[in-house]
Amino acid sequence: MAATPYAIEFRDVSLAFGDKVILDRVSFGVRYGESKIVMGGSGTGKSTLLRLVLGLLKPDSGQIFVDGEDITHYNEEQMMNVRRKIGMVFQEGALFDSLSVYDNVAYRLREQRVAENEIEEVVLRMLRFVDLEDAIDKMPNQLSGGMRRRVGIARALVGNPKIILYDEPTAGLDPITARTICELALKLRDLEEVSSIYVTHRLEDMDVLATEYVVRDDFGDVHFEQEGDKLCLINTKFIMLKDGDILFNGSNQQMRALSNAYVQKFLNQR
Amino acid sequence: MIRQMDILGFGSLVIILLTGTFTGMVLALNSASTLQKFGVQNVTGQLVATSLIRELGPVLTSLMLAGRVGSGIAAELGSMLVSEQIDAMRALGTDPIKKLVAPRIVALVVMAPALTVICDFVGAMGGLLISITMLHQASSVYISSAMEAVSFKEILGGLIKPTVFGFIIALVGCHKGLSTVGGTVGVGRSTTESVVNSSILVIAVDFLLSKVIISLLLDPR
Repeated sequence: MAATPYAIEFRDVSLAFGDKVILDRVSFGVRYGESKIVMGGSGTGKSTLLRLVLGLLKPDSGQIFVDGEDITHYNEEQMMNVRRKIGMVFQEGALFDSLSVYDNVAYRLREQRVAENEIEEVVLRMLRFVDLEDAIDKMPNQLSGGMRRRVGIARALVGNPKIILYDEPTAGLDPITARTICELALKLRDLEEVSSIYVTHRLEDMDVLATEYVVRDDFGDVHFEQEGDKLCLINTKFIMLKDGDILFNGSNQQMRALSNAYVQKFLNQR
Repeated sequence: MIRQMDILGFGSLVIILLTGTFTGMVLALNSASTLQKFGVQNVTGQLVATSLIRELGPVLTSLMLAGRVGSGIAAELGSMLVSEQIDAMRALGTDPIKKLVAPRIVALVVMAPALTVICDFVGAMGGLLISITMLHQASSVYISSAMEAVSFKEILGGLIKPTVFGFIIALVGCHKGLSTVGGTVGVGRSTTESVVNSSILVIAVDFLLSKVIISLLLDPR
């Protein structure tokens, strides 16, 4: 691939549905290993960004790059290869109703005709990562909202994608479960060096992702630590969308210091 | 594919058996009184069999499938669409057309003619039952009369129709399901539209196919 610092890059991307402009010449990049937290009110095009990265939507103009590849005009078949590099966590989990937790997580590997013993090993590893080994034989309708999201994360991680897209993964969840989802995102960011776009309108998520990090000690145990005054999280950046445009693109500290009324209103909504 | 055949085809067997049987029975009952006026009650079997093979078997089977299976396809795919399962499928590297649409079309194209044959058979048996019990005909009269209607061309014509109808029902169901907009309300709308559209299409295409089959197969001049 072309040498580029970006795992995902948007260059002057515009998209409209009829008369409604969703994105207007939007440009930004997600560096390798970086988490880009996308915020904004409802209907500002947050989820649309993710669909554009996956090729589920095509922009009206501009260019989209994934891992250095210009995917703007890729057809469905070409996109299939690009999608192997990406894991997507949908808002409600989007688990396949007719498949068990095991089969949902195994889905991508089954489609790639991987041997069943290998599939079983991967599925168990992924479910262990999201702490849902006990739910392996359950059907999606037997799971709570939080469990569905975690299975969705486990499914997205199959194939070890280096890019993960989160579409409001904590929407509608209680604070404790939402915290669990954020911790999984932190582990992926800090331990697996996954590049990600994290769409949310929850300030609680933003706080966790912007101020905490994960370390693994000598015994292999994982610890969550507060950023405090020790360091600035350089691998987490923010984007604020408004009316199809990027209102802000930068670090947590820069955003907090911004005097823009919309940003301040958004940040002080609690 | 096999799973879809099981769900869509064998799952519809009971309603097809009931529809076929009662249609054959009512056909025999109604036609016998008219035929009696002309003194040709002995051709009741032929009339029932011809009506079933040419027209009622394929059309009624297809209408039942449109109601039971077409609606199910639209509802299932529509629900998958609004709950983002179709997007998830694409994101996981699967083409929904290959995974969801193709097996349903093939299943219905194969199962609709098979169910039509069953509908024709049980319909003829229903007619036989009425002929024996209510019209007091000898079973041999009904059967030999019915057998006259059963020719290779009649059966071929009777199988072409449900094959086309099966394709139409699956295609309309899949199209309506995958073009669902508006959440759960939209799923309901897609389901209704699927049944209405495919039923009307079945009846309209039946007319055109009847014309073609009669001209080319049954009565070529």
